[in-house]
Amino acid sequence: MANIFGYEMPDGLYYNEEHSWAKVEGNKVRVGMTDFFQREAGDIVFVDLPEEGDEVSQGEVCGKIQSRKWIGKLVAPVSGEVSEINEDLEDDPTLINKDPYGQGWILVIEASDLDSELKNLMQGEAVAAFIEKEIKKAEEEKAKAK
Amino acid sequence: MGVWRLLKETERPLTTAEGLSIDDTLSQSVDRLNSPPILHLYKFVPSAIVGRYQDIEAALRLQRLEELKMEYNRRSTGGGTVIMGPTVLALGFGINVDHKGLGAGIRGVFQVMSQALIRGLGHLGIQAVFRPKNDLEVLGRKIAGLSAAMDSKKGILFHTSLLVDFDLNLLSEVMNTPLIKFKDKGYSCFSQRLTTVNMERKDPVSVEEVMDAVMKGFEEVFQVRFQTSSFTEEEWNLSLKLKEERYQNPQWIFSHRHPRVRMGIGRLKTAAGLLEVYLSLAGAVIESIFITGDFFTTTEDLNKIESALKYTRCEEEQLVNALNSIWKDDIIYNLTPELLVEAIMLAKENQVRL
Repeated sequence: MANIFGYEMPDGLYYNEEHSWAKVEGNKVRVGMTDFFQREAGDIVFVDLPEEGDEVSQGEVCGKIQSRKWIGKLVAPVSGEVSEINEDLEDDPTLINKDPYGQGWILVIEASDLDSELKNLMQGEAVAAFIEKEIKKAEEEKAKAK
Repeated sequence: MGVWRLLKETERPLTTAEGLSIDDTLSQSVDRLNSPPILHLYKFVPSAIVGRYQDIEAALRLQRLEELKMEYNRRSTGGGTVIMGPTVLALGFGINVDHKGLGAGIRGVFQVMSQALIRGLGHLGIQAVFRPKNDLEVLGRKIAGLSAAMDSKKGILFHTSLLVDFDLNLLSEVMNTPLIKFKDKGYSCFSQRLTTVNMERKDPVSVEEVMDAVMKGFEEVFQVRFQTSSFTEEEWNLSLKLKEERYQNPQWIFSHRHPRVRMGIGRLKTAAGLLEVYLSLAGAVIESIFITGDFFTTTEDLNKIESALKYTRCEEEQLVNALNSIWKDDIIYNLTPELLVEAIMLAKENQVRL
């Protein structure tokens, strides 16, 4: 498990700039939200998910996540068909906060163009650089607000 | 200096379908149609509007609204119920997430937006502050609520409802809260927690004067100038499509895509006095909480406590952490965070669906 500036960002996963993670499982991809996201967002109130069988496209909005009074987007890290959604999130969306890489998984996509699209996602050092950039932006804003 | 667009409606209040569909178009326009940011200032007809993922039938007394000839609808941004009308300023603001000067992350974005409103209220002689979890307060009483959504890839929509004048009795009439059985208590709970522009001033102002002050606040904080604008044909067509798909569509208004709502009351006798907690849960999270009883505290501190608990997971450790982040000695005389959490967990145990 890689700890980047205090945020858990596991090795072996792919990440996008919309704060979702992707775990390759054969030709399927399991998707969730990162530790950075859940700590920034606060406790999740509701997750509005696509349905099994829906087609999703890489980089496009495929769902909505509410925390407090903000409704943010779930962006598909890869294209394909939604083969599974995590129904446990209906009773307890705060699984995304409590266990973002385990029980808080959100959906599984049967990928349509996996090898090509994985190149558009981040891994390794690129993830660290991205998190550092996000933290710096947030700190600059805090300083301006003082 | 940048030039932003201003849509200002003063001729008549808008229906909920009109106002909400125009607002949804703002974020689409700044994303897909390359519009500069757009500020929409208007009033609604008397109405109750729930947040995107609220259970409308649990949140509102629909029959009473119909008796009062008030509209009801569902907006596309988060948060709770707002009661709108000709003495409440409705604000929709569309901006691209990449716009320079917009704060980073969810917190940063709300912080910047609140600064514009605080500056505007300052022009009316009112000192407001931003309370995290997205409200504006004056001496601990809420004067405006902020909510937001990203409905498109890059467009953010902000909503604000700013109370210029308000009939607090109306809240108890049309909203379902755990206080519903206790009408007098409901009124005093709301009156301790809300304020209006005209309650904070010696001389009353109109909603139109508040519009001008808010517009000036935005111009100063973002260093821009507003130009009065109207929708293009493409924007109008988009707005009409959204009106039909959403705000005139019972499937949207009565959507079942929301967390389960439960409400409960917890009472605990403590060394600090009797604690009564009126709790509303949306799924696993506190949607609203009212704390009353015969203990010693200030209105401001009580609101600080309730705000810290709002939107927090209703589990002991989370609640204690939320309270410890704002707790100071004798914030409620002779009470500890752990005892307050005990009362909250009692309310959770007693939860029922209304």
